[in-house]
Amino acid sequence: MSTKDLLDMALRNLLKRKLRTFLTVLGVVIGTASIVVMVSIGIGMNESFARQLEGWGSLQVINVYSPNGNSGYYGMEEEISTNTPNQQVKLDGAAVESFRQITGVEAVSPVKSLYLMLGSGKYVADANVIGIDPATMEAMGYKVEEGRALSEEDVKAIVIGGGVEFYDPKLNWEMRWNSEPPEIELVGEKVEVSYDWNYGTKYADKSVKSNKFEVVGTMSAEGSNSWSVIMPLREVEKLQKEQQDWEKKRNGSSSSSGQRQSHEYEEVMVKVDDIKNVQVVQQQIKDLGYRANSLSDELETMKETTKMLRMVLGAIGAISLIVAAIGITNTMVMAIYERTREIGIMKVIGASLRDIKLLFLTEAAFIGCAGGVLGIVVSFATSKLVNFVAMQQGSDMTSSIPIWLYLGAIGFATVIGVLSGYLPAKRAMKLSALSAIKTE
Amino acid sequence: MSRNVIRIKDVKKIYQMGKEQIQAVNGISLNIRQGEVCCLLGKSGSGKSTLLNLIAGLEKPSSGTIIFNKKHIERMNEDQLASFRQKYVGFVFQSYNLLPTLTAMENVTLPLIFKNVPLKERNERALEMLKAVGLAERAHHKPHEMSGGQQQRVSIARAFINSPQVVFADEPTGNLDTRTTYEMMDLITGLARKNNQTLVIVTHDLELSEYADRIVMLLDGKIEKIEDKTQVEGEKE
Repeated sequence: MSTKDLLDMALRNLLKRKLRTFLTVLGVVIGTASIVVMVSIGIGMNESFARQLEGWGSLQVINVYSPNGNSGYYGMEEEISTNTPNQQVKLDGAAVESFRQITGVEAVSPVKSLYLMLGSGKYVADANVIGIDPATMEAMGYKVEEGRALSEEDVKAIVIGGGVEFYDPKLNWEMRWNSEPPEIELVGEKVEVSYDWNYGTKYADKSVKSNKFEVVGTMSAEGSNSWSVIMPLREVEKLQKEQQDWEKKRNGSSSSSGQRQSHEYEEVMVKVDDIKNVQVVQQQIKDLGYRANSLSDELETMKETTKMLRMVLGAIGAISLIVAAIGITNTMVMAIYERTREIGIMKVIGASLRDIKLLFLTEAAFIGCAGGVLGIVVSFATSKLVNFVAMQQGSDMTSSIPIWLYLGAIGFATVIGVLSGYLPAKRAMKLSALSAIKTE
Repeated sequence: MSRNVIRIKDVKKIYQMGKEQIQAVNGISLNIRQGEVCCLLGKSGSGKSTLLNLIAGLEKPSSGTIIFNKKHIERMNEDQLASFRQKYVGFVFQSYNLLPTLTAMENVTLPLIFKNVPLKERNERALEMLKAVGLAERAHHKPHEMSGGQQQRVSIARAFINSPQVVFADEPTGNLDTRTTYEMMDLITGLARKNNQTLVIVTHDLELSEYADRIVMLLDGKIEKIEDKTQVEGEKE
């Protein structure tokens, strides 16, 4: 029996009993829709976590710290996987190279930061200047709002965070607080960058050499990078060197204490190609003896907390689908009783056991597949409704259906159909042709 | 007419009815020749229908052998029987046994569907067959829209469509009036003789046996007498 004939015959048999087929399909529709919607709410939850965290920086970036340093984000202290603090492990150029070799790593940039003053006309601002490999700026999740990001060739260029506020240094705190921040057009302009924290005031050291930087872009005023200024790493290093020399000269001979040796970095940022690989890469870095953390840690924790809830949601959906599967089996068993004679006739005139079995399995698969297809249509509508209601109420709960869930649902419903049809098909196969045709 | 297509040797079929054993077929040996019209004649309970079912592989004998084209029917499994029926056998039943939801044409093509014959060829052959039984204009009617005689014609067309070597007919005219009965017998024997196909007819009607080359009379599960009309023409085994 050819596939086309098989499909044709199965479809006709189902259409013969429209109401019953419809009711059975309806069961599968409800089952599929409930599973898809429940899973979609779970996915929506995770996505909303990810969105929340995205505001703080890129989820694909791992921050690596020297094992014996004490710097880190928000005091998030990470356990070092090696038992003893490893003094040999240094966060230097070689380390950066070794991170680059890890599979899944897209970009690596050492990080050095300095607290510097910016000057534009009579206004000044103080900001945390982060020095990174300028070519990796976008990869590291720094989003430019106006102008452009730093690029490899940039020399004296910076990107300023939207939260960096300029003020008139001649005003005192109170007056500054009450005055409107000045409107300064920054993109394309040059600003003065100085390590003298008295810059712009009458106490400013006139011996500090002028450093003009071009502002090539600005970043959003929201998020964790809004108060930062991004600068090519080599410029930061140069400024750091100048600052140290200047301080040395001012304070006499001894160099300032606690200064890191210049060939070691305080932090290295590692960009991973896919969010799925972040934890793996992070573990590999930890295994090398470094401390590492990422926003993805936070996401994992959040996902872990809601795992139970998502499992319960999934189980509710699964139960409805099991009920639907029993419905399919029931329908097919009834069909066999009704069609005993028909099965007998087909056997007598040359249908093989395989033909009979396939016919019933195909009918069951049709029910499953039709239920799956209609089910995802219903799921789509329900998902939209859930999101609408959630938005009205300002709730975080959203429903999100990725394409794999749609396709998976159809496939799964079809498989459920075939499995449900297996028992009835077996039964049909075993019917004795003779007793079947004798049934009046 | 000399080749034996079916050789039945000492076949028995015993049914267990509660505590009682019923010997429906009690030691029958019979050869059926290629191209002959053979009539199994007997009263109700003589075992004629059971014998037909055994030969056609619809039931398994309790003992004895049935050889069809050198193959042991009684040793075949369900799959082999299905393929055997598909290749060599056609059936006509008393109660027509058409699928009520299919049209005449579709009923006739059904054996070809299981044989994987392409749609176009299937429909051509079915139409030809329906013409042969005189029902071409009813091709797209469903069984319940046809008379008993017409339904039996469809069932005959279905039995012959695959050009089977043997056609089994179990009381083919049992539900028909006298006039239709003769029409039907003319039709079925005519089709079989035209292509030198073997026809085995089971009936209790002595008049129908007139159509046969050989009449095997059965009584209580045994052969009572074989009347061979061809012997008159001098052909002996």
